[in-house]
Amino acid sequence: MPDLYDAILNGQATAAAEATREALAGGAAALELVHSQMVPAMDEVGRRYECEDYFVPELLLAARAMKAALALLRPLLAASGAEPAGRVVIGTVKGDLHDIGKNIVAAMLEGAGFEVADLGADVAPQAFVDAVSAESAQLVCLSALLTVTMPAMKTTVEALAAAGLRGRVKVMVGGAPVTQRYADEIGADGYGENAAAAVAVARLLVAE
Amino acid sequence: MRYRVDLVPLATSLEVERGASLEAALSPHGVEFPCGGAGACRGCRVRVIEGVLAVTPEMEEAFTREELASGWRLACRGRVESALTLEVAQWEMPVLGDDSTFAFEPAEGCGIAIDLGTTTLAAQMLDLETGAILAVKTALNPQAAYGADVMSRVQYAISGGAGRLTAAIREGLGELIRAMPRRESVRLAMLAGNTVMHHMFSGIDVAPLAQAPFQTAAGGERRFTPRELGWDLPDSAVVRFLPCLGGFVGSDILAGILATGIGESNPLSALIDLGTNGEIVVGDGRGLLCASTAAGPAFEAGRIRMGMRAASGAVAHVVARDGRLECRVIGESAPRGICGSGLVDAVAVGLDLGQILPNGRLADGAREFPLVPPVVVTQADIRELQFAKGAIAAGLRLLLKRWGARAGDLGAVHLAGAFGNYLNAESARRIGMLETPASLVRPAGNASLRGVKMALLSPSRRERWIAGIRGRAEHVALASEAGFEETFVNCLAFGMSDRIGI
Repeated sequence: MPDLYDAILNGQATAAAEATREALAGGAAALELVHSQMVPAMDEVGRRYECEDYFVPELLLAARAMKAALALLRPLLAASGAEPAGRVVIGTVKGDLHDIGKNIVAAMLEGAGFEVADLGADVAPQAFVDAVSAESAQLVCLSALLTVTMPAMKTTVEALAAAGLRGRVKVMVGGAPVTQRYADEIGADGYGENAAAAVAVARLLVAE
Repeated sequence: MRYRVDLVPLATSLEVERGASLEAALSPHGVEFPCGGAGACRGCRVRVIEGVLAVTPEMEEAFTREELASGWRLACRGRVESALTLEVAQWEMPVLGDDSTFAFEPAEGCGIAIDLGTTTLAAQMLDLETGAILAVKTALNPQAAYGADVMSRVQYAISGGAGRLTAAIREGLGELIRAMPRRESVRLAMLAGNTVMHHMFSGIDVAPLAQAPFQTAAGGERRFTPRELGWDLPDSAVVRFLPCLGGFVGSDILAGILATGIGESNPLSALIDLGTNGEIVVGDGRGLLCASTAAGPAFEAGRIRMGMRAASGAVAHVVARDGRLECRVIGESAPRGICGSGLVDAVAVGLDLGQILPNGRLADGAREFPLVPPVVVTQADIRELQFAKGAIAAGLRLLLKRWGARAGDLGAVHLAGAFGNYLNAESARRIGMLETPASLVRPAGNASLRGVKMALLSPSRRERWIAGIRGRAEHVALASEAGFEETFVNCLAFGMSDRIGI
């Protein structure tokens, strides 16, 4: 029986759930499992992606294994009153249907201990505003895969400002055509070049 | 040392470097090489009227002794060693291919068939009375200066450049037409192109194509007078841009369906146009499902480290013999890059040799897969190809699922576009891009242009054909299909299933 770390790294969902159950039965604390196994495993997944060892299928499989474990851990974490690493709202902006990249970032953030509200794809600016208020999110992540839908990121940032939320929520943007320069241009606080980088930037933004 | 090569019946002449391949010389002038220059079909055959073109073993296979004696040769195998006058067979037949529905009906005057591609323009002047091809002209789409693919052109258009794009394409085609004979007899010009090209040529706002659900209400047929386009044709001539099918799938695919006959086929067949925007159709006599999928530029060798178009110096084919790589380079020049077909072959060979793992990773932590100095395939190149082939494979799977069929039910897969001619179907299957046996894969060449010609030359049938295909073709938005993400991700890896037991 592999431990949770290996099960996530190898993308084995059943084994990850099994390992989690076993560890809990053996007396491990949920938060301890998150910090000693899940977060390091997802960090390693991100590292392997960055050095081109892992590709999209491996990322998604690892995310699935992580989620299988998290499904068991979440009720325990909530009951123990453990604080997440941060609260995040994420979505693909209005007009854009691509959500595989966004799903990967959402999973990586979840794997890093963040609480993530995923709004899906083709999300209107107002829906982001509503979710940020409702979730009292510290970070909102906007994804776009088409140059033609990138302007919706700007509209969303403006809508957050108009709703008076820019003071308390940080904005991170990402997606294939998005650049640091564009992030700066529209007044976003951060830019995630890929899923692994997004986690690092999210940690920094939430710590600020 | 350069030799003059004259091509009849269209009185085209060119200067060719001694020893150069005829394929490389004729391809830019609109001659098609249906089997990708492999010497396997007779589609590119030419008859030597003056000069000498050596007979190769492939030509001995392809022709009878009488045919060889009367000068027939395969252009794809020929090298220019003297001045030549060649009769190009495909210019004597108005329509090439296995189009069983086609029957030529003589009509008065001349017509122009135009394939308005995102990258390339192709136009042919036809004598409607005899069906003879009077001129063949090709050029690059002048809009390319404003963006290589459709989405970047859409971006340019919605940022205020729409008028410039419309003017550029109308002028570009106008110039091709100005170089054609018998313009004064033209009654009809027919164009086909994808939805973005249709809108940009017609001067229609492309904004609906810039965001979900990527549908336009303005995809119907458009008619113009030569005067409003600034074209040098009689005032009485009619210019028709054929109607789109839905989403990004335009009349180029409508014409391709007509040319390949898949709307009447039995069993189920597929038509795939491999480009940055891949278009896929499956259907038979009962109906048609079509979709487009963003494959990215890997098939055109875009975003590939040593990628280049299929021109001289490009590695176009790779095979392994006794564990050693053999690369076929276009033209006589030294290898300097790799084109789309070479990339597909290289990865297929890498998988066979175990140098690329089924998950796409280079074995033993390697960063590159060397082909022939200085050409290499990098890890990132393999990832780009995985995205491209994954998009096509997933699109086809989703359409088949919607139809209630499986890959094994397909009786034929037609590959449209120049890349389809050069792609090795075995390699495409090896990398999991196609799941169909190579024997069922048919290069369809410029099926769009062929379909437009069929319409031009069949006046009594064409309206029924066009309306019939448009009425029966249902557009599917792939991203909204159930299981899209799962299917796409499953299609990213290089499947091993067909290798087991071999």
